[in-house]
Amino acid sequence: MTVVQMHKPHGVDPFDKTYSLGYKVNHEDWSPYPRVNHLRKTFLDREYYIDVERFRNVTAAYKENEDATAEMRCARAFEKILMNATLYIYDEDLILGEIAAPAKESPQYPEFSVNWMLYEALHEPFEEREHDQFYFKNDEDRKEFIELCQYWKGKCVDDYANAFLDDEQLKGSQSGKKIFQTNLYHYGGVGHCVMDYGKILRIGYDGMIKQAKEGLDRLKKTDPDFAVKREFYKAAIYCYEAAKKYILRYAYLAESKAEAENDQKRKEELLMMAENCRQVAGGPAKSFWQALQLFNFATTLTQIEGNGHSISYGRMDQWLYPYYRADIDNKVITQEFAQELLEVTYVKMNNPTKIRDGGTARVRQGRGFGGECLTIGGVDKDGNDVTNDLTFMLLDASVHTRMMCPWLLVRMHENTPYELKVKTVECIRAGYGHPKIFNDAPTIKCMMRKGCTLEEARDYAVVGCVEPNLPGREYGWHDAAYINTVKFMEMVLNGGRCLDCGPHCPRWEKCGALGKQLGPDTGSLDTYKTFEEVLESVDKQFEYWTDQMCSTLNVIDRAHRVRKPLPYLSGFFEGCLENGVDITAGGTKINGIGPQASGIASCADTLAAIKQLVFDEKKYTGSQLLQALKDNWTGHEKLYRLINSTKVHHYGNDDDYADDLFRFMFECYCRHLTGRKTIRNGEFTPGVYSVSANVGMGLNTNASLDGRKSGEAISDNMGPVHTDCCSHDYCGPTALAHSVSKVDHSLATNGTLLNVKYPQEAVAGIEGRDNLVNYIDEYLALGGMHIQFNIMSSATMRAAQKKPEDYKDMLVRVAGYSAYFVELGKPLQKDLIQRTELSFG
Amino acid sequence: MEHKAIQFNIQRFTIHDGPGIRTEIFLKGCPLKCQWCSNPEGQNAFIEPGIYRSKCIGVSKCGDCKGICPVDAISFYRNKICAVNRIKCSNCMACVDECCSEAIKSWGSSITVSEAMEIIKRDKGFYDKSGGGVTVSGGDPLVWADFVQELFKECRKEGIHTCLESTFHFERWVMDKVLPYTDLIISDIKHMNTVIHKKYTGVGNELILENLRRLSEGTVPVILRIPVIPGINDDMKNMKDSADFIINEMHGNVRTLQLLQFMRLGEEKYISLGRPYEMGYIKMYRKRFARQVEKIRDYFVGRGIHCTVGTKEKGEEKNDSSSDA
Repeated sequence: MTVVQMHKPHGVDPFDKTYSLGYKVNHEDWSPYPRVNHLRKTFLDREYYIDVERFRNVTAAYKENEDATAEMRCARAFEKILMNATLYIYDEDLILGEIAAPAKESPQYPEFSVNWMLYEALHEPFEEREHDQFYFKNDEDRKEFIELCQYWKGKCVDDYANAFLDDEQLKGSQSGKKIFQTNLYHYGGVGHCVMDYGKILRIGYDGMIKQAKEGLDRLKKTDPDFAVKREFYKAAIYCYEAAKKYILRYAYLAESKAEAENDQKRKEELLMMAENCRQVAGGPAKSFWQALQLFNFATTLTQIEGNGHSISYGRMDQWLYPYYRADIDNKVITQEFAQELLEVTYVKMNNPTKIRDGGTARVRQGRGFGGECLTIGGVDKDGNDVTNDLTFMLLDASVHTRMMCPWLLVRMHENTPYELKVKTVECIRAGYGHPKIFNDAPTIKCMMRKGCTLEEARDYAVVGCVEPNLPGREYGWHDAAYINTVKFMEMVLNGGRCLDCGPHCPRWEKCGALGKQLGPDTGSLDTYKTFEEVLESVDKQFEYWTDQMCSTLNVIDRAHRVRKPLPYLSGFFEGCLENGVDITAGGTKINGIGPQASGIASCADTLAAIKQLVFDEKKYTGSQLLQALKDNWTGHEKLYRLINSTKVHHYGNDDDYADDLFRFMFECYCRHLTGRKTIRNGEFTPGVYSVSANVGMGLNTNASLDGRKSGEAISDNMGPVHTDCCSHDYCGPTALAHSVSKVDHSLATNGTLLNVKYPQEAVAGIEGRDNLVNYIDEYLALGGMHIQFNIMSSATMRAAQKKPEDYKDMLVRVAGYSAYFVELGKPLQKDLIQRTELSFG
Repeated sequence: MEHKAIQFNIQRFTIHDGPGIRTEIFLKGCPLKCQWCSNPEGQNAFIEPGIYRSKCIGVSKCGDCKGICPVDAISFYRNKICAVNRIKCSNCMACVDECCSEAIKSWGSSITVSEAMEIIKRDKGFYDKSGGGVTVSGGDPLVWADFVQELFKECRKEGIHTCLESTFHFERWVMDKVLPYTDLIISDIKHMNTVIHKKYTGVGNELILENLRRLSEGTVPVILRIPVIPGINDDMKNMKDSADFIINEMHGNVRTLQLLQFMRLGEEKYISLGRPYEMGYIKMYRKRFARQVEKIRDYFVGRGIHCTVGTKEKGEEKNDSSSDA
C-alpha cells in the first residue's frame, strides 16, 4: 500500500523542540495529555506481583488433554486461558487487552519449565531477590503455585532438553561453569520476532481462519506429514476462534461498564471501545483506533500463548500509516487525538511483565517483559526514505511518556531528513535512554548475508536489543545464549583449566580431581613460544566451546518444537499457514539461532598485553602473567598498574595494535558460528552484544589480562574495557568510533551494540545538539551498525542510589534496552556509573 | 627539516574552541603567567614531569623511579612519591618511562608536523560533517609559530578549517607567519588596565591590544573572550572599557564575544608541577557570580555586541521543557 505524501512530515511538536537536558526529578506531566500522565503514574505506582490465574488454567487444560497432540493441547490451553481470564478495563484507558493477568503482574508459563519456579519458590523466594523481585499477593497463591508445579514435573520443554544433554554439553553451560548460558530458551519461550501486523490489520482473524481452512482443504493424504499438518491447521483455527471470542468478551465488558458510567464523555469512549472490539473480533481494522486496538490484541495474545519476550512491533510508522492517513484525510480524527491514542498505546505496552528464573534475571536485569523494539524510519523496498507524520509522532510519544517500553529505534541512512535527525537527538538528550539508532547500510548487508533479497533486506526491523530481523518472515531465535568469551580466554591461557581449579569447585569430582581439564588443552602461557601459537589456541578453544553451545541450542530448539508448538503465532509468519508447518518446526523463511558474545574487548586487551609485554618488549614472561592472574594480581601491583596504564595498547583508542586484535577476536567468534546449521534448516547468526550480562558474567570470572580482578564486570557489547582501576579508552568519542568501525559489522548477523555515555553538559545548546547529530552522522558513515547514548551524569546516578524513592521513573540505557535505574542490582549500577563518561573537552 | 613543537595534549573531539567537532592541539610555552590559568602545564616551553602522588603504589612495592633518577631529585613521604626537586631535575624523563602506575607523567612530548597531521586527518569525516576542523591552543601556539605555519599549510591542502587560539603577546612578524593560513582566531582581553593586567598575568596589555586592533582590520574573523574572574576584572568599569575598545578600536569586528566564567580548575595540575595555586583565595558565590556574568552579558548586548556566556556562538535553544497541549 503506497500512499503519496503531499506535505512535509511533522509530529505534534516542532521537530527542534528541546524537552530537557537529562533526567528531572519529580516530573510527572511530560505528556500534554492528562490522561496519558495519569495512566503513566498509575503504572509506576503499581507493585510487581505474581498472578497465578494463567498457571491454574493452563494446568487444568493440560490435565484435560493429556491424550491430545501437542498442537491441539496447546490450542485448547490457549482457549481455556482466554475464556477464563479475568478481564480488566483501567480508568481512562482507550485500548483494551492485557496478557491474561492484571497490569504489571506476571503470569506463569509452566509449559516451558517449572524446575526453577519450584526451586526458587521453596528456596530462593522471588521477593527476596536483590533485584527483579516479584511478590505473591497472599499465602494461598504461594501455596497454589507450589502445588501446581507438581503436575508439570517431567512435562516441560526443559525436561525434554535435559534428557538429551550430556556432561560435555552441560559443563560449559549455566549448569556448569557458565562459559555460555542458554537459560533464556531453556527455561522460557522464544519470542524475538516481528509479526506481520499489516496482514492481521488487513484480513482480521476471520481472514486467518479462512487461510487456515484453505490450507486444510488443500492437504492431501499422500503428504507424509499429512496428520501433523492437519493437527497444526486445526490448532491454528482453534486459536483464532478463541481469539475472536476473547475479544468479544471485552466488547461485552466495555458495554456493561458504559451502562454503569455516569460521565457522558467516558461513556462514549467505552462504547467506542466496545464497537472497536466488535469490529476487530473477526474483521479487519477500519480506523486508526481500531488498528491500534487490533495491534494490541494480536500482540498480547502472542504473549499469552508463550512467554517469549521481545515480540517486537516492527516498522510501526509504516504498517500503521495507511490507517492514519485515511482517518486524517477523511477527518475521522485529528492529529492530536491520533497522538493521544499512540501515547495511551505506549503506556499500555509497559503492562506485560514476566518473571524470569534467577539466573536469567541476573544477566538481564530490570523487570518488565522487555524487548519490544519499535522500529521507525529507514527506506522502502526501492531505497527511498519513508519518513512520515507517524515517524515524528512516535518519537513525540516516546519523549512524552518516557517509560521503559517501547524500545524505540530510529533507522538512519544517507537520506534521512535533517528534521528527523534533530528530533531524534532532542529525544536522546532529554536523557531517558531512548531512542537507539540503527544504520541501514551495514544492516541491509547483514540481512542479505542471512539470505534476504535486497528488497526484503530494506524492510528489516529490529528485535529486542539490536537484532536485525525480517518482519513476518524470520524466526531468528535471537538472544539464544550469552557467551562469556573471557572464560574462553581463560582456557586459552591456562591449558583448558579454570585458573582457580580446585576442590572448592562443584565440578571438581568430574574434572579436576580426575586430572582432566574443563576444556581441551590447547597450550598455556607457560608453553606458548610465539604469539601465533596464542592465536591458534584461541581459535581451537572457540571452536570447541561453540560446538558445545550450538549442539545444546539445537537440542533446546527441538524441545520447543516437540513440546510447545505455537499455532497462534505461526499464522503471522509467511509460509506457516501456506504449508501447514508450525513456526517452531521451521515453517517460515529464515530460521537462524543467534547467540551473542560478551567480553570481546576484554579478550582483545588480553591479547594486546601478551603480544606487547611477552613477545614484543619481552619485559615479562608468559608464566609471570599467568601467575599474576592465578594470584588475582595480589603481589603483582606493578604489572597490574602497567596493564591498566596508557603504556599498554588498549582497544578503543583508534590504535591499530589493539584494534587489530579486537578485529581478530570479533572475526574468530563470527567465523565459528556462521554457517552452522540449525534444526529448522537455518543457520546460526553471531551477535556481539552483552546487554547487561557482562556484569553477571564478570561475577563468575577469574582475573583476566585486560586488568580485571576476579569478579569485576567484563567488557560490555562492542565497548572498550573499563576496570576498577581505570577506563581503557582515553582518546574520546571520535577515536572510539574509529576503533569500533574497524570491524565489518555486517558479519555479526545477530547485531552489534555500542553504548556511549555522554555528560549532559556536552550536548547543551544548539551547538551541543548539532554536534551530536554530526557525530552520529559520521559514526554511521564509518559503518557502525548501532549506537545508543546515555545522557546522564554519574552524579545523578549516585544521587539516585542514595534516594531511590525520588528516582522511581529514571530510565537509563543499560544496553539494547533502557531500564529503571533503581530497579537494577548494585553491581550493574556501579558498572553503569563506571562506563567511560566521554568528555568533549 | 621538518618543524617540531612540544605538545602537552592532543584532544580529539573538542567542541568548545571553534565551530563543530574539532581536534585541538595544545602546545607548550606561553609568554603570560595568568594566575587563573587552568592549564599551568602549558606554561613552560619544555618537557617536564608531573607528579600524581595518589597513583603511586609505593616504594616498598616498586621504587623504580628512585633507582633510575640520575640526580636523585625525587623525594618520598610515607612510602609514596611526593615531589621532584625542580632545581635538580634535568627533565630527562627516565622516571616517567620507568613508572608503571603513571604516578609520574610527562607533561609534554615532541611532535612533528607530519605526526600531528596523521592524527588530525583521521577525524576529517567528523570535521566535514560538523563544520569543524583543527584548533591549536596552548600555552600559546605562537611560541611555535614555524610549526603552526607549516601545520596550517598542510591543513589548507587537506581542506581542513584552521583556528588559532593565542594571547597575541607577540611581535607582528611572528603573527604574520601564521595568519595567512588561519581561518579563525580566538583571543581574549584579560583586563583593560595595563597595571592590573601586569599584576595578574606578568605582562602589560599594550602589545596585545595593539595586535587585536590590527586583527580587527584583517580578514580573519575573531572570537574574543573575556575570562571573568570575580574581584579581578568583573567590575563594570572594566567591562565598559572593554566594550569601548571593541567598538572604537576594533570597529566592532568581533564575531562573538564569549564570557568565560571563572572556575576553579587545574588545581591538581599545579600540585603535580609543585607550584602554588594562587587562586585558592578567591571566594565565589556561585549564584551571585552567575548573575553578575549575566549582567555583563546584557551590558555588552546593550552596546550592540554579539555576546554569549560560555563557548557557544549560537543563541539559546527553544528551551521548552514544560509541556503544552
